[in-house]
Amino acid sequence: MLPPSLFAPRNPLAATQTADIRAFLGAGADEDRVAAAHFLVGALFLVLAGGLQLLALFSLRFAGLSPLSFGRLESMANLTVMFGFLVVSLTGGIYYVLPRLTGARLWRKELALTGLLLTTGLVVLGLLSVVLGFGGGRQPLGLPWWLHPPMIAVLAIPFAVTMMTIRHREEKRSFVTLWFVIGGVTWLPLLYLIYLAGDLPFITALGVNYSDLFFSAGFVTLWVYTVGSGLFYYTVVKELDIPLASRQLASVGFWSLGFAAAWWGVAQMVFGPGPGWVSGVAASLGLAFPIGALANASNVSMTLQGNWEKLTKKPGLSSGVIGLFLGVAVATLASFASFPSIGSVAALTAYWEAIEYAALFGVGVLLTAGVTFEALPRVSGLEIRTLDRPRSFNRLTVIGVGGVMVSLLAAGLVSGYSWIAGSNSAAYVDAGEGWAAGAGAADVLLLFAFGFGIVAFLGQLAYAATVFGTIFNGRPVPQEVLVYGDDVEASPDE
Amino acid sequence: MSELSAAAAEALGIPEAIVVRSAAARATETGMTVDDVLQAWAGGEAASAGAAPPATEAPLPDSGDTPPDAPAEEEAEAPTPTAPPETETVTPLPAAMPATTVSGRPPVLVGKTDNPLAVLIGAVALFTAVLLVGLVGPALPTESPGARSGELPFTESAESGHQLFLSTGCAACHTQLVRPVVADVGLGAVTLNDSNQVLGTRRFGPDLSDVGTRLSGSQIEATVTGFAGHPGLRLSRADLDDLVAYLTESKTSVGTGEGDAGS
Repeated sequence: MLPPSLFAPRNPLAATQTADIRAFLGAGADEDRVAAAHFLVGALFLVLAGGLQLLALFSLRFAGLSPLSFGRLESMANLTVMFGFLVVSLTGGIYYVLPRLTGARLWRKELALTGLLLTTGLVVLGLLSVVLGFGGGRQPLGLPWWLHPPMIAVLAIPFAVTMMTIRHREEKRSFVTLWFVIGGVTWLPLLYLIYLAGDLPFITALGVNYSDLFFSAGFVTLWVYTVGSGLFYYTVVKELDIPLASRQLASVGFWSLGFAAAWWGVAQMVFGPGPGWVSGVAASLGLAFPIGALANASNVSMTLQGNWEKLTKKPGLSSGVIGLFLGVAVATLASFASFPSIGSVAALTAYWEAIEYAALFGVGVLLTAGVTFEALPRVSGLEIRTLDRPRSFNRLTVIGVGGVMVSLLAAGLVSGYSWIAGSNSAAYVDAGEGWAAGAGAADVLLLFAFGFGIVAFLGQLAYAATVFGTIFNGRPVPQEVLVYGDDVEASPDE
Repeated sequence: MSELSAAAAEALGIPEAIVVRSAAARATETGMTVDDVLQAWAGGEAASAGAAPPATEAPLPDSGDTPPDAPAEEEAEAPTPTAPPETETVTPLPAAMPATTVSGRPPVLVGKTDNPLAVLIGAVALFTAVLLVGLVGPALPTESPGARSGELPFTESAESGHQLFLSTGCAACHTQLVRPVVADVGLGAVTLNDSNQVLGTRRFGPDLSDVGTRLSGSQIEATVTGFAGHPGLRLSRADLDDLVAYLTESKTSVGTGEGDAGS
């Protein structure tokens, strides 16, 4: 039984062939080759990011033994996973679904490829600048100020390609994925603009902090959760050939995520020098974050009703579902810590490190895998050779990321309570800068985090092996891939 | 699910679950019973009789909960019969890779007609609103009557050290942020919103707001270069002097007893 068509019979894009993505580097790239190139580059960066993050976890526990300081390592890991992997791979997912949802050719696919090359170049340049000590030091990326403007320009490319493709759409009805895609590509450059504003000379130290936290939190909610969930809606409906359970619930999820953008970031500054009303407002409105995550997770669950057993045979679906539910857990934990009562213990500790790690390396990676594993055969005409690798990826990621998250959460709470008990200050009195004595209780937990980090890294290797193994060594099988008939013209602007 | 729906699904070549939902919507729209609709589809009769106008006949809903009073245009959910694609592109293929054909089917991945521009405008408006309340609001200066200034008078060397403190990534582990909470008792004066120190957001190492009061310059230099478990930073002599100057001049508790977190 062949997979069903993505398009109505009247849509000439429905014709299929089996393509060979191995030609993508040389031949004129079509839409699916653009998407495949993004997946490949993203997989490479994920391995790099995982390695850097592992070193960062190591340096957190063994600061004196680390070749680079935690500050630089974490910035490099963040830059690599956020822009090298999550931006690149999810953009590939967007380019994969856009022609299939709109019936239009991707607008200026050469521009899309240029965007990939520029993003790759900027990430590499950013890594070099941080490791050589030219970074700006601002979390989460640590980039020097002069890299911010080109970064915004590069982020504007997915926005332009997406909106212009939609503008030329043949299919006038919108599947919910389109909202999430539009939201994601619109919000990301705006977010970065806010991050850039933190470098302006008249911004105070407090303003810089708010800018950094707004950007960090916004990236997770407005890009990772939004685009990841949106693309996964497509994956579920497409893979199982069943209708989405509720368009209304998807709408709730979309707008809640948009509304939740700032609050869980701002909440990290609870009791800080900002105005007092911030913590109360952040605690109340931060609830939008778990609501958005839960709406999407429950919508997918309802859609999957009666089809759960198929998850074992569909690695992409398994990854996405796990990602959605991990996302609910992460959003709930972030929301809890936004309340002043918990925030007074958790603020400034490894608790928030756990949230960010799980959001980027857990939710982000799993949701990306959700669309990538589904798209790979369709963009390459090559089947995933063995399901063992993606299954290993799922298992290792859940155990590894879950372990790191729990360890860091516990370490954060232990630190927070020990500070309240007085060791934070007493350590200075007794031993000068004897931080180790005060923070010793959390040391074993940081060691656990490093151990689980190794497991998570193995999962990231399994992801890359799946992507590369499929594209370069996949089994050629009949697959539904996108081709264009002679009567489909390129978009008018090409 | 019934034999009737199974028969209709087979006749139309689409999944049974979709047929059932579509039949229910069609029945609501036309006043027929669901069984009648399924019967017609199973017999192939409704393929033409039940088909909606061209503009609305193609899509299946992506939602099973379309309200009964929704516009008819959005309710047209009858599956169209299987038909060959209008265009079947056959392109030369590598011999080892077989081509496939695609049967024409109603798509499941379209939704209702809506305007992407509205989503775009809504997204930008929402972002702006959240930005104003969530970022600009908190960052605005607030009145603190009677409070001393949070700005420390750094020397030129210390200002250079300030930049070095940032570029080295010190703020990833060290805060310079003292809050009026029990956990921060003894760390120095409470940080005000005009502070010119690097506030930071994580405290994996000690808070450095008032480190200049606690440690001498030589103690700071020893720590920075690898003493007491601190990662040894490889800095030039000039850079090291600047960084030490910045930290040595970070003194918030001198003469500021009222603002101390412990008081």
